[in-house]
Amino acid sequence: MLKLMKYELRKTMFSKLVLLCITGVAEIAYLVGVFLKADKGDQILAFGAIGIIMCMTIGIFYIGIDSLISFHRDLNTKQSYMLFLTPKNSYQVLGAKILENGISIFLAGVFFAALIAVDATIGILYIGGVKEFLDILDQLMISIRVDIHVTPREILMPFFAVLAGWLMTVVSGDLAIVLSATVFAGKKFSGIVSFLIFLLLDYIASKVLNILPDLGDMMAQYIMIIGVSFVMVIVMYVATGWIMERKLSV
Amino acid sequence: MLECREITKNYGRKTAVDHVSLKIEPGRIYAMLGPNGSGKTTLMKMAVGLVKPNSGAFYYKGQPIGIESRKEIAYMSTEPYFYAWMTAKDIGKYYEDFFEDFSMKRYRDLLARMELTEDLKAKSLSSGMMAKLKIAVTMAREAKIYLLDEPLNGIDLLARDQIINSVLEAVSPDVALVISSHLVDELEKIVDTAIFMKNSHLVEVCGAEEVRIQQGKSIVDKYREIYGHGGEELC
Repeated sequence: MLKLMKYELRKTMFSKLVLLCITGVAEIAYLVGVFLKADKGDQILAFGAIGIIMCMTIGIFYIGIDSLISFHRDLNTKQSYMLFLTPKNSYQVLGAKILENGISIFLAGVFFAALIAVDATIGILYIGGVKEFLDILDQLMISIRVDIHVTPREILMPFFAVLAGWLMTVVSGDLAIVLSATVFAGKKFSGIVSFLIFLLLDYIASKVLNILPDLGDMMAQYIMIIGVSFVMVIVMYVATGWIMERKLSV
Repeated sequence: MLECREITKNYGRKTAVDHVSLKIEPGRIYAMLGPNGSGKTTLMKMAVGLVKPNSGAFYYKGQPIGIESRKEIAYMSTEPYFYAWMTAKDIGKYYEDFFEDFSMKRYRDLLARMELTEDLKAKSLSSGMMAKLKIAVTMAREAKIYLLDEPLNGIDLLARDQIINSVLEAVSPDVALVISSHLVDELEKIVDTAIFMKNSHLVEVCGAEEVRIQQGKSIVDKYREIYGHGGEELC
């Protein structure tokens, strides 16, 4: 399984390196902006800050999309032989993909959360206080509405709930891709039908999260949301692996 | 050793393989012969689990094919299938990672004999170089069964000799080789059993020596008899 994960990482390595490079450029711009503040470095700081936020949102989104593109290619081109000739079953092949993608999304989330925390600290230290730092960001027309009484844990829990939700969406995409390559293979409008099934699965998953009971405690609520998201990931993984094992021809 | 029983595969309304039963025994070299679309490739792909049959099944050592059979059956597809980002070295490492019977030393030796280097990128290879690379990585396994789909396709005469020599090195009493090819007379020199497929059906399985002695025919003659002239390239 670890070897499969290694090659999954290798397949998507290029796009992750591109994301890292763009983030590096945005980070340098942000730091230059912070250090040049006295010499009117505001615009560079704005460019850097917006760049980092964009890299985080688009980057985490793209890591999931890249995994779906790679999976689609693995099922619909001859390179599928590289995977399906190995002495591994469909559950292992799919599991390696989902684990690698889940870990990548999680690590990207941790990386960007840590980067933003470090950048905010540097900004506060050099610009001279939280209020001044937020004032500068406000002046730059960045829509920041941060309640400074919120603890980092209260910011991080919803953030990781979003990451778990995104992984759930990606896995429902995997299921739709497998349906398209198996049950609907060779049929008219198989792509459209599979996409509609993906939308339906995603809708059902969000409905399940919406009907969860209110636990009265924000932390417990988010832990439950993350837990239920992972349960749905596992259910869709088992269903997808089962279909692959019985129906998939590459 | 490897056996299929009443195996059938349909693609939509088209039947690619129709109720084929076949046994592959160790210590023999088989030529799988037939025109395009006769079902040779689909049959081989079903033997390694790449294609799922609609009915019937393949068995290896009496068990349905799966993870265990893939450890001992080496398949070479006629199409290029390596990841585009891989070099010849990466491909060797990949096989070493997944197949216990893969020998990196033998792979390097085969690459050198095929005049290929480890830094060659899969995406930049000509069809001839790709065919040689596929053979090198497949024959570097010490498998019990080798299924080679059109290994001589698009290969010049000298490279054909290199490939055939590499393939023949795997011959041993507990190993079976199945080679599909259009180059019937090229295969006739090395095989001892011919499997004839036509229109998704298995027409006949016959020993080359038996055909020569009992019927006074060569495999090429037999091929002409089954498929007629003009239906297939002979050399």
